[in-house]
Amino acid sequence: MPSICLYFEVHQPLRLNRFSVFNIGNNIQNPIYFDSKLNQEIFEKVARKCYLPTNNLLLDLINRSDGKFRVSFSLTGTFIEYCKQYMPEIIDSFKELFKTGAVDMIEETYYHSLSSLYDEMDEFEEQVKLHRQMIKNLFNYKPRIFRNTEAIYDNRIAKKVSDMGYKGIITEGTEKILHWRSPNFLYKPINCNLKILLRNYTLSDDVGFRFSARLWKDYPLTAEKYAYWMAKNEGDLINLFMDYETFGEHHWETTGIFDFLNNLPNEVFKHKHLDFVTVSEAVARYEPVGEIDVPWAISWADEDRDVSTWLGNDMQKACFNELKNLGKKLKEKDDKDMLNTWRRLQTSDHLYYVSTKGMEDGAVHAYFSPYDGPYDGFINYMNILQDLKQRLD
Amino acid sequence: MKIAMIGWEYPPFKAGGLATHCYGLTRSLADKNVKIDFYMPKTKKSAHNDKSNLQIIEVGETEIFPYDRPDSKEIGGNFYEAVYYYNNLVVSKVEKNIKANGKYDAVHCHDWLTMKAGINLKEKWGLPLVLTIHSTEFDRSGWLYPNQWFIDLEREGMEKADRIIAVSHFTKRVIVDKYAINPDKITVIHNAVYPIPEGHKQEIVLFLGRLTIQKGAEFFLKAAQKVKDFEPDTKFVIAGTGDMLPRLISQAIDMGISDRVIFTGRLTEEEVKHIYGISSVYVMPSVSEPFGITALEAISAGTPTIASKTAGFSEVFNNCLRVDFWDTDEMANKIISLLRYDPLHRTLVKEGKSEVNLFTWDRVADKTIDVYNGVI
Repeated sequence: MPSICLYFEVHQPLRLNRFSVFNIGNNIQNPIYFDSKLNQEIFEKVARKCYLPTNNLLLDLINRSDGKFRVSFSLTGTFIEYCKQYMPEIIDSFKELFKTGAVDMIEETYYHSLSSLYDEMDEFEEQVKLHRQMIKNLFNYKPRIFRNTEAIYDNRIAKKVSDMGYKGIITEGTEKILHWRSPNFLYKPINCNLKILLRNYTLSDDVGFRFSARLWKDYPLTAEKYAYWMAKNEGDLINLFMDYETFGEHHWETTGIFDFLNNLPNEVFKHKHLDFVTVSEAVARYEPVGEIDVPWAISWADEDRDVSTWLGNDMQKACFNELKNLGKKLKEKDDKDMLNTWRRLQTSDHLYYVSTKGMEDGAVHAYFSPYDGPYDGFINYMNILQDLKQRLD
Repeated sequence: MKIAMIGWEYPPFKAGGLATHCYGLTRSLADKNVKIDFYMPKTKKSAHNDKSNLQIIEVGETEIFPYDRPDSKEIGGNFYEAVYYYNNLVVSKVEKNIKANGKYDAVHCHDWLTMKAGINLKEKWGLPLVLTIHSTEFDRSGWLYPNQWFIDLEREGMEKADRIIAVSHFTKRVIVDKYAINPDKITVIHNAVYPIPEGHKQEIVLFLGRLTIQKGAEFFLKAAQKVKDFEPDTKFVIAGTGDMLPRLISQAIDMGISDRVIFTGRLTEEEVKHIYGISSVYVMPSVSEPFGITALEAISAGTPTIASKTAGFSEVFNNCLRVDFWDTDEMANKIISLLRYDPLHRTLVKEGKSEVNLFTWDRVADKTIDVYNGVI
């Protein structure tokens, strides 16, 4: 009987201030890299539209189903910092959800960074530990399952995550690694002992991307129809992984997304062979059916399902290299503030805004970007990196 | 299909984008089996033509250019008379050809200068009138003190035209908002470009255009002054001529940047291609820019472009940088970034060139034929 594993990514980046070449080296003591006004504005808007109402609804659904409805979250460090600063009640509401016992927490890098792609894994490990500490402080819990930034995954990352003691890891169920095989089972890496949960991208994107697309042949999507599709799926496990902002932000309340979520558990329970599990339960309950070999990094982003979303063009690579090199210098210095600033600049979104991919993906990129296109994004980000570099010298 | 097209300039004679447009459009139409008689003033250098479907018919002589203003020309008081006189000459020439070779399917005019002739031919011979608007009086005056005589003439042409082609959505909005024309009869067809080869790049930041209030060269100078201390080896080239040239030269001297700024005056077509090719950055700080073919020319020559946010081409073009024309701090920020950050420059060159390839005259001709079919 397939179990449904619902997991939400909850993340907000720290967007940058406008920083021109004329600002570089000007304000050595206390440069303002982050646009706190814009960040607060966006955060509070998304909180009202998504975080608060969706948390309330999930709590209600869990209570109404006596905990049979189960979900998992990964909360990034930058997201929690926002909550602490602007709306601590969101943290309380996550704590309340966690207390039901029907909610699991997933580990990741605190800064939602690309540190897993650096030459050395030490920065990655430190950022994972920061996240681990944060989850312990908030929930007194130690996550067993790991999800890297945007599900970036390769053999090297799997090995590291396994060495750090995690039982499972989440990535994309792309044909690139599965070929003819189904994403509805657990797999294991070729080089270590870890269980891999693979996102069922068709079913996940039906909600995440297509829910409000009027031209989609299956529009409108009802909970009944969706539960029926899942009931027809074969395998152990249906992994539905999506942005938490799917609810109320990517799809506004008027699209009926909350009604959909509200009806989903009951429609699922009508199919006796379906149930819900958290990521930890999925890993405890099922065994891998095969091995997966991923020498080149994959992810769940864009059509390409690789890291070209962040490292696809020369501008992105230049920023990424600059960022890496700054780290080497920073670690020789013992300046906590600068280290923290550098880490906030590692949030993958900054590179995402610099992507020049065309067509469909480009439209998605533009939706999330605070800039007038990737070139402005590059100039701004690179100017800030140059300023940080000057402060280091 | 047989079209009488009335223009004002045609390469090698060229003062602006109108010539480039007419050249690209007529040649591509001719390749698609549309017979074009292109009427234009007699010039010193005759237009070269190798297409059997295309005839360049020169009519009389005139001192007037489409970018002229009555007060900026020696003709002074005779300006308006000269315009009417020339339009009458065109009408008689077209009528002579109609009598000898039969009627045209439509008459197609470009901008205000030839509108009278178009209206006249429509009314006398019942020919459908198509009008392409490359710029309006509001653009040419930089939205300061537009001249009512031009506006009235433009409005009359727009009202009487069966179909209007606007070179951008920006221009369509101006036609609707300022001239109160029904938006349903306006089709937007964005311009195209013949690619220019890339040269050996030097540290040159280029402005190229008429030195009139519309094109905003003074903002280019202000940005140059801000770049100066950061990039000491950079040269700034102002290519073109116009009534603002003396003022710009003294502005450069007053700013203390006259050793960095080169005024080339009017360039030949070959020289224009050369300067596009060797420049590292092209800046188009126009106060009002209905389309901006020069930006696409620069980009085709591998020169990343910083353009006014409102420039018509940027409605449909992604791989360029945009600024408000008055924001010379941001203009300077972007110039310096392009000179300093090689990956930025490289990516804009690569992506820009591949995007510019989509802007073909073939596409413009196809869409223009659709417009003709709608009125015939």
